[in-house]
Amino acid sequence: MNDILLVARREIGVRARTKGFLISLAVSAVLVAALAMLPKLFAGNDSYDVGLVGSDSLRTAATTAATAQKVDLSFTPLPDEAAARTALLAGDIDAAVLDGRALLADGAVDRRLGVILQAGHTSVKTQEQLRAAGLDPAKVTEAMRVAPLTEQSVSPLRGDSSVRSGFAMLIVFVLFFLLMSSVTAVAMGVVEEKGSRIVELILTSIRPWQLLAGKILGLGVLGLVNLGVIIVAGLSAGVATGLTADLPDGVAGIVAGAVVWFLLGYAFFAVLAAGFGSLVSRQEEVGGVLTPLTTLLMAVYLVAFYAVAEPTGPLARVLSLVPPFSSMVMPVRMAATEVQLWELAVAAVAMLAAVAAVLAAGARIYRRAVLRTGARIRLTEVLR
Amino acid sequence: METRALHKRYGDKEALRGVGLAVRPGEMFGFVGANGAGKTTTMRIVMGVLEADSGEVLWQGRPMTFEDRRGFGYMPEERGLYQKMRVAEQIEYFGRLHGMSPAAARTATHDLLERLGLSERAGDPIEALSLGNQQRVQLAVALVHDPTLLILDEPFSGLDPIAVDTLAGVLAERRAAGVPVIFSSHQLDLVEQMCDSVGIISAGRMVAAGPVDEVRAREGRRQLKVVVRGAGPGWADDLPAEITHQNGVHVLRAAEADDQAILRAAMSAGTVEHFGWEQPTLTEIFREAVA
Repeated sequence: MNDILLVARREIGVRARTKGFLISLAVSAVLVAALAMLPKLFAGNDSYDVGLVGSDSLRTAATTAATAQKVDLSFTPLPDEAAARTALLAGDIDAAVLDGRALLADGAVDRRLGVILQAGHTSVKTQEQLRAAGLDPAKVTEAMRVAPLTEQSVSPLRGDSSVRSGFAMLIVFVLFFLLMSSVTAVAMGVVEEKGSRIVELILTSIRPWQLLAGKILGLGVLGLVNLGVIIVAGLSAGVATGLTADLPDGVAGIVAGAVVWFLLGYAFFAVLAAGFGSLVSRQEEVGGVLTPLTTLLMAVYLVAFYAVAEPTGPLARVLSLVPPFSSMVMPVRMAATEVQLWELAVAAVAMLAAVAAVLAAGARIYRRAVLRTGARIRLTEVLR
Repeated sequence: METRALHKRYGDKEALRGVGLAVRPGEMFGFVGANGAGKTTTMRIVMGVLEADSGEVLWQGRPMTFEDRRGFGYMPEERGLYQKMRVAEQIEYFGRLHGMSPAAARTATHDLLERLGLSERAGDPIEALSLGNQQRVQLAVALVHDPTLLILDEPFSGLDPIAVDTLAGVLAERRAAGVPVIFSSHQLDLVEQMCDSVGIISAGRMVAAGPVDEVRAREGRRQLKVVVRGAGPGWADDLPAEITHQNGVHVLRAAEADDQAILRAAMSAGTVEHFGWEQPTLTEIFREAVA
């Protein structure tokens, strides 16, 4: 065990120092934070400044409408139209209302603000016209007050479904990125040791499986660190933009689930990558020998991507139980919809079994191939 | 350390055909042979990096185990170091892999770097070092854990004369400490100077082995050499010897012969400038053995 930790520590120590790792850490954190902010960026402002020329009868009604939309309005009284135009062009205000007659803006009026101001305007004018028609506005309002339809979800799901699927999409993206980069790192590391013959030296003091386990453990820890940084960056961005308020219930559970599924997926793909990697002796050959594996990972990614759109469809439901697809499809379903406990149990047991099987095969390939330098070794030669 | 009847076959090629050699504590064993004769294969089998088809490797009289090998120091034919790792860090790492405590590994690394003249480079990554210095680091990696046996494949190749002296000095220290040392080399003069015993391998078989003096003095290999000036032609026609003639000097060479009879004949024929038995150099033995 000590030897495994020794190897793992070296992997972490050396790789954590490389520019490549630090850059990918920073890029992934920034990217995820940006993605987490995206909905709010597209949603536009949630506070507006409105200039009022002449009558300010609009103020109360518009504020009521704005409050319903969770938007802050502030009003700036302006002397005349010329002042309003100047303030608009200078960007001091978002829109100006001229005495209940016209709505001015620099270009088109912001859609949300337009709706709010028009609603306020309608409300003010309706009352005036009702009074002019000799009707009591209070009574009319009373008569028109209708309790809205109550909304109910037939599943225990709550929260905005678009936020849920956005969240699931983010999980797919992050898991794919991390699996791909850590798995490649494992294969590159194996070939580095094999190609430079360091492995010959190391294997006189520790067993092949110890070296393999240490390498996978070390790079796994780095992957986990990267995942942690991404989670912190994503959630901080979410808090900063107020997005977390819209997140579905049990975010902590979903994130924890994603971490566990990352580890299972990593174990599966990393052991295979080490096995495949040990077949070649040169770094240039890594890409070629890993092709079957990256193709599989890509397929898993595409299915998971599809599952984001249809988390309750049969494809997503079935493949969320089948390893290695479960490693990405299951966390997507957990984020996007409700997953039965038995499904989770089946998926986890199947994935663990797959990891164990792959561990046996991958370690066998590695042990037999890693000391045979030279031309690429065929898989059938080492599996016999 | 002893190997018995090692056989190894790569496809159709028989690399080893019953290699047996033995090295005792405090003995330095030079392993020589042409390229592809089986030196590296033998060493890799001893280190457990390669498996023999048949035959056995013994340590202290019993089959060698993985734990035994953990105590050995090894320098493979193709040098391998982590290019991006720092010098001291790397030597320490290998010390730890051999089971040393962190403190012991650090101390041993520090001492070795000093001994090998690399102290100033301790913090540099391997890739920044010249090939000769990388080789010193490779040696340090083999020595850091105070090995119980040293196996070095071509440790002198690519070293400048100063580095050769340093390495020879370091190996002599280990031998003096009672460690068996095996190294392969093409520099036979070096082997002759440094080694207690030598093994010559050719096409997968040991063709000569034993203490260097014994191998050189072995029956039938020494030669009598006589140099005579001013002798007339045909003086040695009856002698069992080869004669070469140049500038009035006759050089006579003979294998086993009555040296006194030859000396008398030479003295009566001319002025004897040189007379003596010569042992063949390792190079000559090697040529003869490999031919």
